[in-house]
Formats: sequence, structure tokens, C-alpha cells
Amino acid sequence: MGKILLKNIENSNSADINEYLKIGGYKSLIKAFEMQPKDIIGEIRESGLRGRGGAGFPTAMKWSFAFADTKFPKYLICNADEGEPGTFKDRPILEKNPHLLIEGMVISGYAIGAEHGYVYLRGEYPYAKEVLNKAIAQAYEKNYLGDNILGENIKFHLTVYQGAGAYICGEETALIESLEGKRGQPRSKPPFPVNVGAWAMPTIINNVETLSNIPYIISVGGAGYSKIGARECTGPKLYSVSGCVEKPGVYELPMGTILRDIIFNYAGGIKSGKKLKAVFPGGISTPVLPADNIDCPMDFISMPRFGSMLGSGAVIVMDESVCMVKVAYRALKFFEHESCGKCTPCREGTDWLRKILERIECGKGREGDIELLSEVVDIMYGRCFCPLGDSAAGLVMSMIKHFRNEFEEHIRDKKCKNQK
Amino acid sequence: MITITVNGKEIQIDKPMTVLEAAKKAGIKIPTLCHHELLESYGGCRLCVVEVERMPKLQNACTLLAADGMVIRTESEVISKVRSEMLELLLINHPLDCAYCDKAGECELQDLVNKYGPTVGRYKEEKRKVPESHTDPIFARHMGRCVVCTRCVRMCDTVQGASAISMIERGGRTRMEPFSSTSFNCEYCGNCLTVCPVGAILSRLYIHSYRPWQVDKEIKTICPYCGVGCSLFVQVRDNSIKRVIPKIGQGLNNGLLCSRGRFGYEFIESQERLKSPLVKEKGKFKQSTWNEAFHFVAGRLMEIRELHGGKAIAGIASPRCTNEDNYVFQKFMRMACRTNNIDSISRIGFAAAQKYIEDLLGQGVTSNIIDGLKNSDAILVIGGDPTAVNPILGLAIRAAARNGANVIVVGNAKGLVPIIRDKTLRIIHPVFREADVLELLLTNIFKTQDVRAEKPAIDKRIKELSEKPVKMDIKEMEKLVKILLGSNSISIVAGMELVQRVDGHRSLFAIAALTYLLEARLFLLSEKPNEQGLIDMGCLPDMLPGGRPINVGDFKHKFEAAWKESIPQDKGITLMEMIGAIRNKDIKALYIMGENPVFNLPNGHYIREALESLDFLVVQDIFLTETAELADVVLPALGWAEKDGTYTNLERRVQLLKRAIDSSSGIEDWKIISEISSIMGYEMDYSSAEKIMEEIAKVSPLYRDLTYKEIGAGDCLWPYHGEPLRGELNEVPVAVDITQDYKADFYLAIEKPLFHSGTLSRRASALRKICPEPTLKISPQHAGKLKLKEGDRVNISTAQGTISVPVSIDASITDNRVLLSNNFENKGVFNLLNFSLDKVTKAPGIEGCEVKIERK
Repeated sequence: MGKILLKNIENSNSADINEYLKIGGYKSLIKAFEMQPKDIIGEIRESGLRGRGGAGFPTAMKWSFAFADTKFPKYLICNADEGEPGTFKDRPILEKNPHLLIEGMVISGYAIGAEHGYVYLRGEYPYAKEVLNKAIAQAYEKNYLGDNILGENIKFHLTVYQGAGAYICGEETALIESLEGKRGQPRSKPPFPVNVGAWAMPTIINNVETLSNIPYIISVGGAGYSKIGARECTGPKLYSVSGCVEKPGVYELPMGTILRDIIFNYAGGIKSGKKLKAVFPGGISTPVLPADNIDCPMDFISMPRFGSMLGSGAVIVMDESVCMVKVAYRALKFFEHESCGKCTPCREGTDWLRKILERIECGKGREGDIELLSEVVDIMYGRCFCPLGDSAAGLVMSMIKHFRNEFEEHIRDKKCKNQK
Repeated sequence: MITITVNGKEIQIDKPMTVLEAAKKAGIKIPTLCHHELLESYGGCRLCVVEVERMPKLQNACTLLAADGMVIRTESEVISKVRSEMLELLLINHPLDCAYCDKAGECELQDLVNKYGPTVGRYKEEKRKVPESHTDPIFARHMGRCVVCTRCVRMCDTVQGASAISMIERGGRTRMEPFSSTSFNCEYCGNCLTVCPVGAILSRLYIHSYRPWQVDKEIKTICPYCGVGCSLFVQVRDNSIKRVIPKIGQGLNNGLLCSRGRFGYEFIESQERLKSPLVKEKGKFKQSTWNEAFHFVAGRLMEIRELHGGKAIAGIASPRCTNEDNYVFQKFMRMACRTNNIDSISRIGFAAAQKYIEDLLGQGVTSNIIDGLKNSDAILVIGGDPTAVNPILGLAIRAAARNGANVIVVGNAKGLVPIIRDKTLRIIHPVFREADVLELLLTNIFKTQDVRAEKPAIDKRIKELSEKPVKMDIKEMEKLVKILLGSNSISIVAGMELVQRVDGHRSLFAIAALTYLLEARLFLLSEKPNEQGLIDMGCLPDMLPGGRPINVGDFKHKFEAAWKESIPQDKGITLMEMIGAIRNKDIKALYIMGENPVFNLPNGHYIREALESLDFLVVQDIFLTETAELADVVLPALGWAEKDGTYTNLERRVQLLKRAIDSSSGIEDWKIISEISSIMGYEMDYSSAEKIMEEIAKVSPLYRDLTYKEIGAGDCLWPYHGEPLRGELNEVPVAVDITQDYKADFYLAIEKPLFHSGTLSRRASALRKICPEPTLKISPQHAGKLKLKEGDRVNISTAQGTISVPVSIDASITDNRVLLSNNFENKGVFNLLNFSLDKVTKAPGIEGCEVKIERK
């Protein structure tokens, strides 16, 4: 498979519209405008494209809900709030290939009937903001955005909205709240954003990577696209590999590439010849996998069978020297800090878990702490308003399940052996 | 129709609602901390979990919509375990200081823990600490106790519309801040207090003074402040009011209150209350017995009556007194004093407007339900700020705006400015020219909307006006007309600033005609609790009880038969005419019940001079007011909360006022008057307020057959069982147009603030803490010109005098008016204002008062 999403990014000018046009950019847009919106959605359905934000929801299904809604105006939002620890897959698109995203968004807007799009950009991506705004200006100049795109009487405007640094705003309803200028907190579902979204109007929210797949699907057709990747989980996937590997970075590979392959083949194996201990396959919100369970195809369908999830495809690799108690503690510190405070189990539970883990890591663990952790996890799990709290509970659960001995060691020896 | 089964009980619902709401309808309570019936579902506390058949995990009842065929269980071992666990989480950082917390005993968290446990917690870490805050004059905040249900924030945002509180920080560090910071706009409604389930927000008025279970009694009564007539529950301990609260489902305010209603009750126990009758001897007051006082007053009034006739006596009734007080008062004036000179301060606003408009459109045209405002799709607001004058009515307008209504504000209604969605829907007009705007609007509407040919006099006048339309350039006019003509349900809310113009009747005509053309609902703002009742009771020179014109023989005879005495022949005169007649020595004696004209009428010096020149002045009040100080006899009356009676609100809803505490010094107004009347030879012998209502129900064609039982049940809405009068004028009364251009630098006008109402509120210490002194409100632009900063002290001078106050810059003011309230002793704006009468309504026109502002 050649590069689709990261095509041409080695070119230092790849973000420029002229470079993009040189490699055939915006041709899909022209083709899409010759199609009927419902046919575009049909192609997407045929392609089997699933949302790349983490849940893997079939994109065409989401679109057809919004398409069917008779309320106007409709909005298209690109979720570029890439905040999951270990995730940096969208960044090369935003910084190196912004026109791919813009082209994808204009086509999507046309398909669902939205005339205004927003890119909700992570607060900590100032450079991406600069690149995106420049690219949007160029697109307006060349009439790929505006009131009468390419003279086809099709309207689409695009605005970059930068978040203020809250992880929770990656959750689609919290993102909408934030976009509306309110405190970033998730809303109840139903109603779903496809019907009652931004400013209570039908709203499609798709990940950067999802939208960036659209031009290619239009260009090769749904059937052509579906040949890439795994069955039921098609297309290219960006994996961001970090941690104890020789060659960390973003890898564009077919969906369903085996995790072991990603770590040992593409990312060059474990750094300094050490032994692999564990992997978060899709960011810290996905349950950790021990070293002996990494022969799994990295796609939405297969991963649950291996006790984890694909998530955002953020592979975080930990070698034998890493203390898993410390990882759990550090992760909970993150979740506690990012909990929005709306629901009781997440707000109080993450705080409680963090305090216990901090104590264990600092050598002040007590007899019964592991049981207590499990009990608190039980209180939280499945009871939180949004997935943030469940992720925190799930992480502690998987850590205890696979590395209970390390927790016991800390409590018994009253110290972390990695700490001097 | 959707049918669900909850705990084996079938529930049918006819509209979409959540499982929690459906269960509640069937009397099944599902525990929750974050849900509140006045607020939208939130889903935060996770206590309302229920089991739903064929759903894999527990569901939250507050966000789950009931679907046909759902089978739900609200209590089970599993559910109890989850609730216990959620409560354990809520308690891990809670201080558990119930022994010290004022909420204990009515704390929702305490009650839930009591029911679901846990008995011990597993949390052994240090608790998060949030310092208490006692910096606010009213609210004590203990955010350590907060359970982050966010009810207070949602109440403030979505119901009150003040947005004075918000959640700050995230996760476990979340807390609610700030109350009354300068950058926000706390309206001190205290509705956050009502919804807080725990002891996180408490009122400093009662903190540490009692516990909920120590309340001796709780009395349902009506608020003493404005014409909305909210239901209050007064909680009493040891004959002292500890707290005033609203209740959901009780009264038209349905769980909401404003600052005055909730925190303004302390005046009733003020040390300044009159303690015994006072009789002036050689310019000094001397305490007297009741018997001496009664005989003295009766004797002097009889002397004057015999010497000069009844027309030399006049009476001022009170919109703060009950229907019973006012009924007895006018009967006393007519029967015992032999005069029709009866009027009240309402003449300068509500009574003048009400009379004029009912003369045109018939009785009851302003009797519209406040709650119905919420369903309007367009609301035209003019002549005052409903959110300050009648705050609970103001909330209905804010609610309508949230529902998508177009709220159109002519002039300044500060509390509505932030909610006007389309900024062009605020009409800024030349100063004091409301009548021109309204006539222009009327003639523009008439261009497309023809008259209904039901009311010839009005039709004729509209046509006349259209022939020579006002010359004024209002660029929003076209849009305004389009909105109004495109709306199905229009409400017009008129404040009394409109009436207080020399050409006030022009505005009133336009309002009446717009109501008629647009088939709108009309609301007149009413500043005092019983302005409508006062009119209904016949405290007008030309009207008998039930709004029956005195000059119509049939009505007159009926009353004469009932009262067993003839009604005086002489035509009575209105309030401002009385002042003139006093100055001309035509009126020698004045009887004032519960009113303070020296302070509450424009040109206080002029009024004072008049009252000082009287041969005999009687004032019945609860305080030694500016007016009482001038009296020959002062009679201490009972205040609100000390007496029974009824008030009729601006919707014409009759409501019960109930005694909550006993006074050791005063007597009911009606009783004082009855005693004096009897001595004067006109026997009055009522044993209770209820007996008076029995008489009213017999003689008044409007209040026919009303009983306290019926009133107490809350059913007494217009038109009761009575007969409204549909009399109409043949000719619309008009006076010569006096349209002036006002070109001076500054004009003084009246501010109606949210936190004060005058004589009562300035003796309510909580309200004085919120707003301790008057300020001169000035627009930012004019403050800039005068180089004035917030808080700078200035002397404001008119031909009437000078007052020194600090400046407060108010961005909602858009013209060269400066505003001052009429609430504080020696600093009332009325002292500085002159007036000229509107010849039609006889209300004082208070306009064009030039003012000089100098830095002190």
C-alpha cells in the first residue's frame, strides 16, 4: 500500500496548495460535485470507512442520519482535539497535509448539506493552527471554499476554533459545548449530535483522519478503497508509536496490521535491546496488553478479542525497566486532572484512585490496598457519564490484572525499586 | 399514549418525559441530588439509577426517556448498593460536619445517606479543603460541603437568567463561584439557596440562629413588596420570623422569589416600629392611650365636617394595605366623613393607567396570567424594567426569550437588555418621548392591520392619529412592525414611567389601541402589592367598590341601600388635586392610611408645605415616616405578617394574607377606622377581616360570593363569579399635545431598583446590606464627559434642592438622563423633581427636570 494520508509529506512544502494540486489535490472535490450527495454517502458506505477517533462507528451511517434530518443549518465539525496521551497521528495531517483535510471537509459538507465547518483544534497545537489558517486562506483564494465553490453554487465555509487545553473536549458533546463557548462538559445522549448538535442543529463530528480518507474514497470509489485493510475494517490507518522503541513515529499501514509487526518491524523493536513488558495499543484509555499478547490485528473488530481496543491507534511501548505502578499512578494523575467534574464516580473516583496509587508508588501502600483499588474500580466502572471515568477505571483494572505482583512488591517492600 | 411499568405499577403518560418524571407523576420517588424539577436534566450525581428490563446495565432515570412498554424497578439490592457507593464517593471529601451545619435536618444528602448508607467509609486519605467564604453580605458559602450537583449554577443561568455563578476548576477541584463579584450581576434572588441540596450555600440572615426542626409554625402568606403577589412561607420561632421561603407548586411564583421577597422581611421586627398612639401637643408628640386617640380624632373630624362639610376632608388609602382595610377606609370616608375625596399614591402610576385603559377596553383587560407570558412569541416592553419592578414577572419574560420569543424593549429595561437576542430590537428614543414611539408604532401597524370595528371611539381615534403621524425617525420601525404582525401570541408589558408624563394618556391610548389591534395580552407593572385591590375596593374619588362609577344612579342606590346611608353628592378629587386643594385651604383635614406622600410624591417640599398647612392630619402607619412626623395624630397599625386579609395582584388574583406573628403595639387598620367611625356616629362593627370580606362579597359586583375558603384554595382568578363592567367611552379623552424638545445637558429621572422599594425596604437590614445607599446612575459616555469615576461623590441640584450621592456608571443608560431612586431617607429623587399634571389621567408628569451635577 502506498501512502494515502501522508502522501508527499516528505516534501517540505507539502502544506502549500500548489504542491497539493501538483499531486492531484482537489480532483476528488471536482468529482464529488458531479455526484449527488446521497451517492457520495453510498460510496462511503461501500468503502466500509469507520470513524478513526476511537469508537470505530461506521461513517456512512452517521452521515445518513444527519442527511435525513430536515433541520437547517447543519454543521460539520472536524475533531482535531488530539489529546489522548500517546496520540499524535493527526498532527502530520494538520501540519503537513492540511489541504487533504480541507478537501475531505468540503466533500463531507456537500454530502450532508452543511454549509459551515469547524476544525476544533487542540489548544496545544499552535503550529497546526498557523498552517491550517494559511491553507484555508489559500483554499478561499482558489475558490475551494466560499459561497460559490468552483462556480458550482455550492457553499462551504471553514473556521478553526482552538480549544483551551481540556482533554474532555475531545468527547464530541463536550467539544460542542466548548465550541458554543460553554464549559467543556459532555451532554446526555440521546439526543445525539447528528440531530441535536452545535447550537441544537444537526451536526456531524468526525476525526481528522476520518475526514482525510474521504478524497481517496471518492477518487478510487468505495469498492476500491475497501480492498485496503482488514475485512469489515477497511482502509489505511495511522499508528503513532511511542515509548521504548528504536524508531518512534507515525506509521501509515493497512488497518489490521499485527501489533507485533508494528513494534518490531516498523518501529525497529525495543530500544537498547531490552525486553518488551507491556503495550497500550490505542492510548492510555485502552487496556494494557502484556508482552505475550501482542499478536493481535490492530483494528476495531479484532482488538476486543484480545482484551483491549484499537482506540486512536496510539501504541505506547513499555520495556522491562518500566514500573507499572508508576505508569498507573501517572495515568490516573492525568485522568483526575482532566475529569470535568460533572458526574460523581469520575470526579471522586479518579481522585481516590490517584491518591491510593500515589501512596503505593511512594512506598506508603497498605495491606488491602490492591483490594481497595479493585473495589473503587468496581464502583466507577460502567457508571460514569462519559468514557473518561470508565477509561481510568479500566486502566487500573488491567494493570492489576496483568501486573498484580508489582503492586504487591511495592506494598511489601514499602518502595518502588525503580526509585533511588 | 405511552405506558410504562414502575415497581409493578402501570403509568400512562401523554407526552415525552423521563422515567424519573413519569415515576414522580405516579408518586414514586427516585432519589437524586442533581435533578430539580425547575431545571433541565443533568445526569451528574448518578443516584437515580434504576433497573430496566432488557437493558444490560443500570440506567439513569433522570436522562432516560420513558418508552412504551418499559418495565422498571426503582429499588433493589443492586440499586441500593450502587446508591450507597455513589453516596460513599460524595462523602469522601465532604466535611461530615452535620453537627455544625445549618442544613442538617433538611439536607438531602443527609437524608439519602440515612436511607442508603454507607455507615462507614473506606476512604482513608486526606480530605480536600475548600475555605469557607463569609465575604458576601447575604450568602455564606461552604464549598467543602458542595456535591457539585450544579443546581445553583443552572438555576442562575437558565431560570433566573442572571448568570452570576459558574463552575470553576475541573474534576474534584470543581466549585461554584463567585456570588456577587463585581464582574457578574448577582440579583440576590436567593433561588440558589432553594435548590442547594446541602449546606454549601446558606443565608446569613438565619445562619446559626435556629434549626429547621425548631420552627414553631410555618404560615403561607403573600409577599408585601410588589403587585405580583408571590406566595411566601414564613417560618416563625418564638414570635420572630426566621426565614421566608417559596415552595414549588405553591403560588404563581412556583418556588421562585426575588431579593425583596426573600430577604426583605426584617422591617416587620424593626426597632423603629411605632409603639403607641402619638398625639401632638405644642409641636411635640406625646404618647396617648388608644381610647384618647380615637376620641380625639373622631372629635376633630366631626368638628371640621360640621363646620366646612365633608368636602373639606380627604383620605389617602394605601396599596400596601389589604382589601379589607381599603374597603373599610373608603366606606369610612364616604359614610362617616361624608366625602368622596379618596385616592392613593397609585394615582401616579397603576391606578391612572388601569382606569384609563379599562374605560376604553372594559374591565379585566389587564387580567392576564403572568405565567402565560412564557408562551408569547413577541413581547413589547415599555416604560420600565419588569425584572426590577415585578421581578417574577420579569423572569417569565426571560423564559419567553429563552423559548425563542422576540423581546422588544423601548427605552431602558436594564434586566432585559442582556437577553434581547437581536440587538436591533431595543428602541432608543429621544428622552421622554415614549408616546411618540408608541403612536408611530400604532399608526404603522394600522397601515397593514385594519381596525376591528368593535370599538368605534378607538377606531376613530386611531384614524385621526394616522392622518397626522408623529415625525420621528425610528430606523427599527419597519422590522418591529413585521415582527409584531408576524407573531401569533403578543404580550405588551407597560411600566409606569409611561404614565408619569404630561402626555401620559397618549401612551396609554396607544398601548390600549395596540392591545386591541394586535389582540395582545396587556400587563401593567405594579409596584405595590395591592394596587389592583385598592381600585376594586373603591378607593377612587369616582368609583365605588367593584369599579362601579359613582355617577351612575343604579350603582349608587344599591350601595346606599347596603350601607344604609346616602353617598355624598360632592364630586371627589384625585390625589394631586387634593394637594392643590389643601394649599388653597379648601381641604382642612386629611386622613392618611399607610402612606408616605411627603416622600413618595414628586416635589416633596411642595407636598410637605401643603400638609403642614392642614388644620388636622391623621396618619396611620407602622413607622414614624416623613409624613407621620407632620401629623397631629399618629396611629400605629399592624404590618404585613401581623394581620389577616387579602391582596389582589396585578393579574386580579385575590390571595390570602395570613398572620404569622403577633404585634404587641399596633391594631389592624380596619379596626382603628371602625372605632373612629363608630364614635363619629356611623357604626362599624366587624369582628374580623373575614367578616369584612363577607360584606364585600355581598356588595361588590366583582367579588360576589368570594369566601376566604375559596381564596385560600388559590382559585380566585378573574373574573371570579362577578360581573365585569363593559362600559365604553363614546369619545377618547385627549388633551392638547405638549410635545417639547428637551435639549438640556442632563435630566433627572426615577430609578426603580431591584433591591429596594422605599419605606419598608430601607428598614430591612439585609436589603440595606446588599444596597446600602443610593447612587446616581449615569451613562458611561456622560460620566466620561464629566470626568466622573465610579464612586465619585457628586452634588445633584434642581430647582427643588440638592442631594449628594456617589456616582454609579450604568451602561444600560443610553441618553442624557441621570437616574436616582426614591428609596432612602433624605435622598429620594422625588424631593428633587417637579411635576405638571396630565390633564386626562390626573397623574403627575415627571419629565424635563433639568439637573446640575457637580463633583463634591
